[in-house]
Parts: sequence; structure tokens; C-alpha cells
Amino acid sequence: MDRRGFLKFAAGGTVGLVASPIIWNTLYDAVYWTQNWGWIPRLKKGESQYVPTVSKLCPSGTGFLVRTVSGVPVRTIGDKNNPVTHGAMTALAAAEAELRVSPARLKTPLRRSPDGAYIAISWAEAEKLLKEKTQQAGASVAAVSGDPTSSINEVLSSILNQQGSSDFYFMPDEEQPAAVAWEAMGGQGRLGYDMEGSDCILAVGAPVLESWGVVAANRSLFNRTHPVGGEAGQKLIYAGAVQNNTAAGADLWLPMKSGTDMALLLGMAHLVIKAGKNGFAAGLGNFASFAAAYTPEKVSAITGVPQERLEAAAKALVEAKKPLVIAGSALGSGGSAGSVMAAIALNMLLGSVNREGGLLDLPYPVSVVAHATDYRDTMRKRFVDYTQNVAAGKTKAPALFFVYAANPVYSLPADSGVKETIKKSGYSVAVASFMSETCEECDLVLPAALGMEAFDDVQTPYGSGRVTYALARPVAKPFADARSAGELFIALAQELKLELGVKDMPELLYKHAYALGAPFRAMMDEGAVHTARVTLPASPLFYNWEAIRAAASARGEEGDLQVAPVVVLAMGTPQTAIPPFATKVVTDYQLKGRYSVAQMNGATAAKLKVNAGDLVKLVAGNNVQITVVAAIFEGILPDTVSLVAGLGHTAFDEFSKGKGSNVLALTSVRREPGTGLPVWGLAGVKAARA
Amino acid sequence: MEERNNTTTPATAAKKCSCGWGAFVVGLVVALILGWWVLPNLMKETKKQPIAFSHVEHVQNQGMTCEQCHFVRADGSFSGTPTTAQCAECHFTVLGSNPEEARFVREYVQTGREIKSEWLVYQKQPDNVFFSHALHFGPLAELKGPKETAEFCSRCHLNVAETDVPPVYRENRLSGYSENTMLMWGCERCHAEHMAMGNTNASNACFTCHK
Amino acid sequence: MSSEVKQFKIRWGMVIDIDKCTGCGACMVACQAENNVAPAVDGSNKLRSLNWLTVFRLSNHKPFPDHEVAYLPRPCMQCGKPSCVSVCPVIATDKREEGGIVSQIPPRCIGCRYCMASCPYHARYFNWYDPKWPGDLAQALTPDVSTRMRGVVEKCSFCHHRFMKAQEAAVARGEDPMNLPDGAYITACTEACPNGAITFGDLNNPAHKVHELIKSPYAFRLLERLGTEPQVYYLSRREWVRREGDNYLEHEKTGEATKQG
Repeated sequence: MDRRGFLKFAAGGTVGLVASPIIWNTLYDAVYWTQNWGWIPRLKKGESQYVPTVSKLCPSGTGFLVRTVSGVPVRTIGDKNNPVTHGAMTALAAAEAELRVSPARLKTPLRRSPDGAYIAISWAEAEKLLKEKTQQAGASVAAVSGDPTSSINEVLSSILNQQGSSDFYFMPDEEQPAAVAWEAMGGQGRLGYDMEGSDCILAVGAPVLESWGVVAANRSLFNRTHPVGGEAGQKLIYAGAVQNNTAAGADLWLPMKSGTDMALLLGMAHLVIKAGKNGFAAGLGNFASFAAAYTPEKVSAITGVPQERLEAAAKALVEAKKPLVIAGSALGSGGSAGSVMAAIALNMLLGSVNREGGLLDLPYPVSVVAHATDYRDTMRKRFVDYTQNVAAGKTKAPALFFVYAANPVYSLPADSGVKETIKKSGYSVAVASFMSETCEECDLVLPAALGMEAFDDVQTPYGSGRVTYALARPVAKPFADARSAGELFIALAQELKLELGVKDMPELLYKHAYALGAPFRAMMDEGAVHTARVTLPASPLFYNWEAIRAAASARGEEGDLQVAPVVVLAMGTPQTAIPPFATKVVTDYQLKGRYSVAQMNGATAAKLKVNAGDLVKLVAGNNVQITVVAAIFEGILPDTVSLVAGLGHTAFDEFSKGKGSNVLALTSVRREPGTGLPVWGLAGVKAARA
Repeated sequence: MEERNNTTTPATAAKKCSCGWGAFVVGLVVALILGWWVLPNLMKETKKQPIAFSHVEHVQNQGMTCEQCHFVRADGSFSGTPTTAQCAECHFTVLGSNPEEARFVREYVQTGREIKSEWLVYQKQPDNVFFSHALHFGPLAELKGPKETAEFCSRCHLNVAETDVPPVYRENRLSGYSENTMLMWGCERCHAEHMAMGNTNASNACFTCHK
Repeated sequence: MSSEVKQFKIRWGMVIDIDKCTGCGACMVACQAENNVAPAVDGSNKLRSLNWLTVFRLSNHKPFPDHEVAYLPRPCMQCGKPSCVSVCPVIATDKREEGGIVSQIPPRCIGCRYCMASCPYHARYFNWYDPKWPGDLAQALTPDVSTRMRGVVEKCSFCHHRFMKAQEAAVARGEDPMNLPDGAYITACTEACPNGAITFGDLNNPAHKVHELIKSPYAFRLLERLGTEPQVYYLSRREWVRREGDNYLEHEKTGEATKQG
């Protein structure tokens, strides 16, 4: 064929191709192809189901529906039928389906090798190791649990008791100082708060809309008492150093210097006594004359709250039908018992004890596992006393140390002695769902299933006004090789031939439900939640003014600056760190790149000679030094900087690691005068431009 | 150029010309064969369904209705093809003599392997196409019998009601979709022409189907 | 594009009570999870992080102790006269469906970002990078919204897939899908808000709560005087909060633009 022929052949071919569909179809297919890049994940479709259960990661036991698609959890949605939280969510609970598969999630049991690296091992090997170590340890075993609402604690404490050890502890939380205070004032049961029945709540230091008590329930109450665009049916007054989320929802904000809660409460007591509110109980006269020293002028000078706001708050309490005063701490742990005592005294003056909308005496959760320590007895024990004694060599280090659902290495002050206790203990075991700072210190790390993957429960959390009981039910398979912590401890007890009286978690939960008269079947099958108003014989309360006086003698903070920590649930808890789907909720006034942001008001900034965006060095009383970015925010007291808690993780995953500084690093352990309770002193800091 | 023209006699030129047209035709025919048949076939890969499912057996011989397997759930979503668990409601054990059924029971029912995730969907759409069966089922209630239903469904789907073995599944190698996947113009037969099937209220807004 | 406000029988709208919002961020988490917005490693970098819904902190600009704070969640306003639609060269964004939700179809988007420049609310976000779900995070993708790719713009859709689901469910119950009862279709953020700050419904339907709420003297819209006619309303009893909704001169009062409508 010659050239001309070839050209004609080619021309014919071109015409033929153009007249056939191949080119156009290929173009069309290419369009489809560009919509399906291989490196971008595809959706998995399937049948959606919505199963009610409760969150075990969110401290308030938020009731939610887990939406699964072909059995895989993809969303958590507030459960409107939950009688405790009424469908209210928290930023943490909303991120739980994603947390379940987060990069920080532990996948297999890990054993530390002599060179310090972790080796993935099988469950059979892990269980064998666990059995051996427990047998060898004998009575020299200690454990700490960070989940006080779970009945898994009973199994663990029963194992310890039967081994001959009484060293089972709860992580320090909001309830421990409150229990001390309630007992000191004559309370015989467990301190409860009927927030639902109140028409005016004064929250001193307690961020009731973000981290104090049963937050999801508090928020749903706020929702119901504040109709959209309508008049509020409940007044909320918040006293705290920072205009935080709770202050944003409050009708009145009392800007109160950190650590001056007692002075504020005593000042309020003085004002309400003046207004004729003096609920009678033994010790009233002495208390009244002690409180009389806290005149508005003096309290204003100590706390920084403008006098007219003190008076407005007192007026609101006096005029309310059912006022309720709550005291708590900004950090949620390491708070003082004294402020709770003062709050109880104030409630007593207002007649807000043992009545609807006031403080209530609730029964403590009971144990159903044989040989388990009762909740109340565990609550009375002080973990930090133990760890500090072990660290100081005053108490023998345990041969075996369990850390269950807790991250004490991160969430306690540096001088708490936890790190030393883990180091000194013969063998340390962490049972956790995420690779935390504490896991990184332990010899054996066991991956625990989440609440939505295993049987667990939520017994009345602190802050509730009634007895509640909810079950966490397995909605999905445990992620990777994770396993129910409850079943793990039960299996260990069985291996050791210990007596528990229950053979598995469902039986344990059944026994609890039975003890409470809760409808176990409906709870198991439909996710029903039990609530009950239980009235105990009224406690013979009295004004323990001596205890209050002793606690009030605590010395104030030194240093140029006060640090006011802010807890937000979007930062997760010490056990979860920042959930991947919550990083965008972290604002640029909380974190900037790798630095925590310190908010301060304009006057403070001028005094420190810093501008917004400047790097500032904060040096705490314990000589810990952190570098932060300054930001100006007028909703803060003068000479105070606010730092958000939950940053500064060194473990977990890229969503949490290396971001900002841990506020707790600036704190150190002190003892409260009178009660001897370990409290976190937010030592005054010095600031300088970095 | 000029020189070459000079050497060409009119006779040879005419001869070459006719031969050239032949080349054109040959080229045309070859390209048409390539473009209509060879290349499209090369673009497609024939795949086999995991089980040789017989609609004839289930519908005609056993008298099942379409809705027993393909139904709208209470929340309005559509079940699509049945899951192993649904099949196992009858096939928990081998019921007949068909070796395929025995294999299904052995390999899927007894092992819990999911047939739904392996079944090749002839009408599979990209992730950003969302189709609501429930909203298209308006006339379905008035239709009687599997035959009429099958006719209605086959406006979009392959008519499988009377097949004894699954139709051949051919997947486009480039796009990854079945050759039977309906393209957007297929949807627009109604969505762009409101009255194409009576007044269907079909909206042609993007969000109606895409997300 | 015509300059007329688009009229629909159904007009989905949101009323956000700022006095009820305490800025917890549950809405933002729910939004990302529901709509398959990829998580950001450094979410505090607001130039890089992509949110369909953002909660802003407002200040009354007074020094301590008279300072007040408020939080403002900002979804897409689903404008009656959307400036983004008129500038899109490829009709990747449009407003022409019953309900009045402004659609955004990422695979159709060519990434010119004119819409982002034209949106006065900064409600649109660009995928500068491919979205990433590290590790096993992609397992938690919902089946409702397709994942996007680098180079396209995305924004809040009022969880339009939930509108479709509500319609499907209505059909399955034998009800009229174009006359949904109040609450049958709500967005993920509305559902997640623990304080009940967000109310969602058909602004045109007297049976829906939002129909009354938008008549409140405390109701306002953002940058109302631009004439974009947003379908998102805000409520606040506080004058200073309402003033934050637009750029007011000192002598100007709030609420006048609403009347001009």
C-alpha cells in the first residue's frame, strides 16, 4: 500500500471510529472514573438500625441511639426516651462512633519487652501472664478505677479483697470532697441535688452546663426550663473566674477569683441571714456569727465579685421558691470539701435540704458481687495519699498494680506520685480503650471494649437528684481484638478460683437491677432506663461551723497571676483525649498550633506588657514552665489567665499528641486544713514574655 | 511535488484512486468493527454472580412474590437484594436438589458469609447518586401480579423475573460499573420531562439525586 | 440569574436561639459525623479546617466586668437570593427545589471558588487537600453523603438526605411526602443540640414552630440589609447580640431591615 492509500485507510478508520460509540463511551466512563479515586474511601450502604444504649466514655452516661449501618456504628444520636438525659448530647458522646475506630484505639494486648518496646501478644498469652502475676503478687496488689459508675469495679475490688488487699481506689473526682463535706455536716446517705425541682440555681465554681455532675441531664434541664424565645422558668447564677460555657447560659455571672469559693459562699450566707433566711439546725448561732465577718465589702475584696452582683445573687436566692446552691471545682477533681460544706450550710439557711428542689440524701450504690468493697467505702479512700506514700517509700509498692479506665499519669498533678507508683510496682497492668500516657507507663496493656461493644452499666452518677440505673449494651462487635473489661476480670477471678457470685456480666447487671427493683428485661431488650425517687429518713444535719472555719483557713494562692482552668467536653476526658471529630470544636482561643492559648483581659495584658498573639512563659509555683500564646478576652478577672484543660497529651494519636500544655502540670497537691483532703492547688504563676 | 506530478500518467492516477477508495472503505469497516464490537468488548470484563440464582424457581415454582425479598422497610428505605440471613429463613438447610443451592447453604448459610456484599448489582450507581425506591413506587400499588410488577421495575432494571440463571454481568474496566448501569440521561427521561409518565412531580434539581 | 427572591411552597428554615446556645460544639461534631466531613489534625487552624457548621464566639466589646459572651452557630444560610448560585459557571450550586435548600454538588464543581468569594457568610469551604480518615476512621462513614475530593467546594446542605429520608418514610406510612409534620425532618445539628437552641422546620407552614418563631421581635438574620434573604433566623433578647448580626451605625436600630423584608 502506498502513502496515499494509507492516508485514505486512516481517514476511513477515523470516520469509522467517530461513527462508533467507543470514543464517546470511553469519555463517559472516564467521567465515572474521576468520581471514584481509589484513595478516597467509598461509602458502605446497608440497613440502618438505631439501638438505644448509654455512653461509657462521657462521664454523664449520656443516653444515645447508636446508628449502625450493616452492623457498624456510624453515628450516635441523643435518645429522647432516656429519662435521665432526655436526648441531650455532649460533644464527646456525639463523637463516640468515630472514637470507636480512632487511631488511638488499642487493637491487641501489648506486653512490654525488656528493651521498652511493646510486643503484640494474644489474649491467651495475656491471660496467662495476668493469672501468673496475680498469683505471685498475693496480697500485694493495688488497683485504681476511673469509672465510678460501673459495677465492673465490684469484680476488681472483690479480686483484690480475696487476695487480701484493700488497696482499691477511685480516681479523685468531684464526689470525694462532696462526700466528706456531706458527712461532716451530718448527712448520712449520699449527697444528691434535685436540680429539676429548683427555680433558682447558684453554681459556685461548678460548671453545671459543661462538666459538673450529670452534664447531659443538666443541659436537657436547661433546655426545658429555657423555652425558645420565651421566658426562662429557672434562674441560673454561675460564679467562676472565666466566662465559660456555663456563664454563657447563666442569667448572672459572678466573676470569682479561683480558689475563693468559700469566701463567696460565706458572704452569700451572711447576706441571706440578713434577709431573714436562717433555717434552723444545731450550730446556727455559731455559724451565723462566723459568717457575719464575711461582709459584702470584704467578700468583694477577696473574691473580686462586684458588690452589687453579690447582692443581686443573694436577692435572687432569697426571693426564689426553691433555691439550690451547688459547689464544685472547675477541674472536676482535686476540689475542696470546705466549699461544699459552705454550700450545704447556705442551702440549710435557705431551707433547701431534704426537700424538692434542694439537697437530697440518696442511697449509695450497693454491691452485689461477693467480697466486693462497697461504693461508699471506696469513695472514702484517697488514691493520692496512697500514691504519694508509695512514692515517698512510706508504703510498700504493690507487686501488681491495675489501672482500669483511668489515665492518672495525665490527669493528676505531677507530684501525685502516680508515675513513681507505677514504676515501683512489680508489674503494672492498664485496662483501657485508648493508648494513653498511663498505658505507655505500664508493663501490660489490655484493650477494653467500649460501652457500645460490651455489657456495662451506669449507676447513679454524682450530681443526680434521684437513683438512676442504665445498661450499656453491646451494639457492635468490639473493635479489632478489644474485649469486655468486665468479662476479662470475671475470667481472671474464675481462673484464680475466687468467689464472685456471678458468672458473667449479664448476671452481674441482672443482680443490680434486681436489687434496685429495675425492669431488667426491658432494660436489656429495649434499652429502658430505671429512675426512682428514693426518700431516706432526713439526715440530722447541723452547721459544722468548726469544720467550715478550719477549711476557710486555707492559705490563698501566691504569684502574680491566677490560673483559671476551663474544662470542655469537646477535649474528651483524660481517658479518650481529643476525639478526632472534635478537633474542629477546639477554638483558636484554646489552642494555636502547638501552643495552648492563655486568655486574659486587656488590663492584665497591659500589666504584663503582652499583646494578643505574643508567646508568654508561665512559671508555676512547682517550677513547671510552659509556653503559651496570649489572647485577649474580657470575660476574665484581672490578674487571671484562663487555660483550657485536656491539652498537652504525649500519647494517643495525631489528633491529641503534641498540642498545647497540660494545665494539671501547673498544679501541685496540697492538704485541705481540717479534712486533710488532697486538693490541687493551682499555684500562682509568674508570667513573662517568651 | 511538481516533479512527481509530471511522472504520473492519467491512467495510473485513476487506478491508484480507485484502490485508495478501497483503502478508505477497509479502514472504515475495520474501525467500525473495532469501535462497535471489539473495543467495547475489550473494555468490559465478564464476571460471574456468586450463586446461579433462579428467579423462575422461586417465583413460578414456589409461588413467592417479589416483595418477599425486595421490599420497602418501615423507615422507607429499600432492602435491595436479600442478605444471607434473609435467605436462610428458608435455606437454613438444603431444600432441593440443585447443586447451587447446596453450595449456597454450605458456603454462605453455614459460614455466615454475606451474599449481599458479594452479589454483583447490575444497576450499581456511584456514591454521589442517591436513589429512593419508595419515592418511585407510586404506581406499584395498583399493579397486580409479578408479571406487571416486573414490567414496571424493568423500566430501569434488567427484567430478571423470568430468568433461570442470572444475566451476564459485564463490568466496564475503566469506570468499574456494570454495562447495565443507567446513566443520567436515563433518569432524565422523566426528571427532565415532567409528563413523560403522567404527572410524576419529578424534580430535576441536583439535590434530588446527588449529595 | 434573576434578582427575584425564589419562591417555594416549602421553605426549610432554622431558628437559632442564641440565648440558649452555650457553645459546647455538639452540633459541629454531629454535623461532621453525619455529613462525612473528614477530621482535621489541627482543627484550631481555622484557615485550613473545613466545617459546614461553625460556632463563633461573640462579645459585647465591653471591658471586664461588664463583658458578655454569646455563641453563634453558623450553618449555610440557604439564602432566598443566593449570591453563590448566580456566580457558579457550571451550575454546581443551585436553588430550585421545593424546600429552598441551596444545593452543592461537589463532583460537578470545578473549584473556581467564585461562590466562596461571593458568599457573605463564609459558609463555603474548599478542599485544598484530599480528605483523610486516618487508620480505621473510614469505617464510621455514614452512607448518606458522598465523600468529596481535593479541588472542590462544599457546604452545609441542611442535611438534605434527611429530607429525602423523611419523604421516603412518609411514603412508606402512606402520608404526603410534601406535607411533613413538624419534626419529621430535622438536621443533625438540630438533633444534637443539648440545649435545644436550634429549631428546624418549614417557615411557610403554620403547623411548624419556626413559622411563629421568626415573627418574634427578637428575631434577626445575619447581614439582613444585603438582601440575601437567608432562611436561617436568629433569636436573642439582647440588643447587643442583634447588633452583631449586621454592621450598624451608632444611630441605627436593629429590626428595621426585617420589616422592609
